[in-house]
Amino acid sequence: MLAIERALIDLLLLLFSREELNAFLRSPQNAATIIGGFIAVSGALLGTFLLLRGLSLTSDAISHTVLLGIVVAFLLMTTVFGLPGDIASPWLILGAALAGVATVLLTELLARSGLLKQDAALGLIFPLLFAIAVILVARFVDDAHLDEDAVLVGEIGLAWANANSHCLENCVSVTVTPAHPAAAMTRQCVNCRALGISPRDERAEFAEVCGNCGAYPPAKAYRAGLLEQEPLLVFFPKSITVTLLMTLLTLAFVLLFYKELKISAFDAALAQSLGLKPGALHYALMTVVSLVAVGAFDAVGSILVIAFFIIPPAAAYLLTDRLSVMLLLSPLIGAAGAAFGYDLARGQLFGILPIGAGIGALNRLLGLTLAEQWNSSVSASMVLMMFLFFSLAWICSPRYGLVAGLMRRAARRRRFEAQVLMAHILNHQHSARHESELNIASLHEHFRWTPRRLGRVLSRLRARGYVRIEAGAAVLSQRGEMQARAFRSTLR
Amino acid sequence: MMPRRKRRAGDRQVALVMLGVTLLAALFFLLSGALFGLRFSYTVRVVALGGALLGLLSGVLGCFAVLRRESLLGDALSHAALPGVAIAFLLSGRELAPLLIGAGIASWLGLRFAAALLATTRIKADTALGIVLVAWFAAGIALLATIQSLPDASQTGLDQFIFGQAAAIVESDLRLIVLVGGALLLALALLWKECKLVTFDPEFAAANGVSSGLVQTALSTLIVVAIVLGLQLAGVILMVGMVIAPAIAARQWTRELYQMVLLAAVFGAFAGGVGAVISALDSDIPTGPVIIVVAFLLVMASIGLAPGRGLLWSRLRRRANRRRFAALYTLRALYRYAQAHGGASAPVPEAFLRGIGAGSASLGLRQLQAAGRAVSSSAGWRLTAAGIEQARRDQRNQQLWDAYRLHAHELDAPPLAEDRARPISELLPAAALARLERAADAC
Repeated sequence: MLAIERALIDLLLLLFSREELNAFLRSPQNAATIIGGFIAVSGALLGTFLLLRGLSLTSDAISHTVLLGIVVAFLLMTTVFGLPGDIASPWLILGAALAGVATVLLTELLARSGLLKQDAALGLIFPLLFAIAVILVARFVDDAHLDEDAVLVGEIGLAWANANSHCLENCVSVTVTPAHPAAAMTRQCVNCRALGISPRDERAEFAEVCGNCGAYPPAKAYRAGLLEQEPLLVFFPKSITVTLLMTLLTLAFVLLFYKELKISAFDAALAQSLGLKPGALHYALMTVVSLVAVGAFDAVGSILVIAFFIIPPAAAYLLTDRLSVMLLLSPLIGAAGAAFGYDLARGQLFGILPIGAGIGALNRLLGLTLAEQWNSSVSASMVLMMFLFFSLAWICSPRYGLVAGLMRRAARRRRFEAQVLMAHILNHQHSARHESELNIASLHEHFRWTPRRLGRVLSRLRARGYVRIEAGAAVLSQRGEMQARAFRSTLR
Repeated sequence: MMPRRKRRAGDRQVALVMLGVTLLAALFFLLSGALFGLRFSYTVRVVALGGALLGLLSGVLGCFAVLRRESLLGDALSHAALPGVAIAFLLSGRELAPLLIGAGIASWLGLRFAAALLATTRIKADTALGIVLVAWFAAGIALLATIQSLPDASQTGLDQFIFGQAAAIVESDLRLIVLVGGALLLALALLWKECKLVTFDPEFAAANGVSSGLVQTALSTLIVVAIVLGLQLAGVILMVGMVIAPAIAARQWTRELYQMVLLAAVFGAFAGGVGAVISALDSDIPTGPVIIVVAFLLVMASIGLAPGRGLLWSRLRRRANRRRFAALYTLRALYRYAQAHGGASAPVPEAFLRGIGAGSASLGLRQLQAAGRAVSSSAGWRLTAAGIEQARRDQRNQQLWDAYRLHAHELDAPPLAEDRARPISELLPAAALARLERAADAC
């Protein structure tokens, strides 16, 4: 991991200076946006296929059960193999990925018994696995970094602080030994505590003890005053590397198996008959989903990570019918949510509209006393921004949106009105009763319309030159008559 | 006079299961006193009672969620309660009733949002629920984070809504649970027929003048109320298990809705009460997870043991069937092979019989030998005269059944349910049988 980070830093240093890089990465907003962006891209790509296969809630289940994998791997590491409990160990990631796949397997095993439905099986298995994980954590794990709180609700706004330091120049590591000039030697009683005696006791034995001996990496050595020259460091947030790797993995998976994923998403039977092994692909997809969920839960928490899987693809699904366009749109929507989320958490909608002022107005309006400062969770705000984009897509989508639907319905009503009126005129204009039937003063009564509605319909038809008014009666023009006859022939 | 309710099939069995679970709970409470030294102090009694009541409610309403294939509704709605809890806390502090009202309103809005999405777009149910789940939960987290950053707010205890904490149930909560739960059950009883119709066949319900949309909304609202009440017990994440596990377990035992609801109530109460008591044993054990594990064990026991449907039952039935048909299939195989290799009493080598399925062949041979239909010789198995006679009769019977299937309508034969194990000659009148035999010989 460190080697990858170092290579990345070297690459970035070709473009930017060290100061620029540090200043950029030490900004919480930049780190949060970058990490959120990576999670959004990988989540949205995978989520698109989950949505098309009707598996959206499986990502929810997986993101919960990865806790069991992490806890079991952690317990195995510390108790069976005697390793130090390292929360960032790759074994935990492996365990989590296995737990994700196990969730899917167990669900299908239960559902295949035929005794309960797929959704019920999922709703049974994932609370069980999560419950076992919580019990294990509560009983056996004694580590501040591993509790269900930390797993459920991460905070991406703090991701910048969890960084590795990389030294570029003046990288001198110092090992202080008792012979080192800077060593702080003191005389201490070495057996006082063991025997429970005071240093004045005659049995007390004394030895020279080094108070600050040990290995000092460059940054620590400089701070301890052991180095003359300041080492040049770059601080690189750990989550950036993890999420970058997840994104690359996702991209590789989707690009390599694009054809297979596409066919089995729309027609699993066809995929089977073409020999594409949709079953194996399904488990591969679930493995990648688990890996991304693990990589992300540290930064955003395991519940909110599913937003990155569900919301952007759903928004893209409302905007397009093409899979390729959907795969481009949904990462964009997710990344935009990540980019504007930080501002929202700090009280600025899109960086322009202050939320505090809105709460202030609410306070004055309703006589409430809510705090006007707004300082909230960044990961939750990213989700809310994505939800905002989803709502916009729902309202404004040109084909499936609410507004488009209303407009379509209005257009259909106008067309219907015109056709009804023209058919009526056509039926009566050469008949004996045309004066009473077509008199525009009473015409609206034949359709039980209001006079205003008739007026609207008439003026639209007159503007198009289909209908004329002659001596207080409506008459079809030649074009109008052709229209009406054409319409009537479609009815036969 | 009230019309007496007709006894339904399975009434006794369901009553027995309910009695069994109740006895199990009683046994557990006795044992937990004796084995773990748990004293049933006032607090433990309140917690156990609260757990049992909440489990009962969510079990009852969960039946409808499971039957309508909306199992994951509980997941979405419990998460969606969080912003309501946060807003209620902002407005009125830590009072249980306002928090529950806030939670209910937020879940209900989430439910309507998902319904609107489903009605106006092509987004499917699982995605719509997922969107509501995570967007509402994010709003809740954002609000909670803001609350926690306020200088003067003591937000301790709001976490219990995420993870559940039965130990926090006090007597006044119990009164509220009884009150709301009673109203819930009453409403369900009043709407029973409508709810049943809408659950199993919404189109039929609409055709019969039941306002399908209205009843569905009412039913969903009842589910929301049960979920929101149960949140203090199991927490947001595990609530879905609390809602559906008792119902799934109950479904294994019965086909009748009222039996299922009664059973789910008992199962839910068992899981809630026992789980709450176990977690009271040690402060390190969180309540919600224990309840879920208990409920899951109930499901596993039901799936395994339930008569008629359970895994054990179907395995036994499969074995009985194999035993029943082994002799017949082996007899047919022997006869066919012998016919093809020199006549009905020709010996059939052991290897051939092993090829048609080792287990059932040896089982069938044992049965045939005992009945005197086949004898073992050095060259292999040989049919006896009685065996040949039976094989011929069976072959003829199968021919007649084939002819019946093809020509029944031309022959004016009475309709029969096809049961090829029985001789058709006993099922048909003589005239029809004679016609059928002629038809079979003709083809």
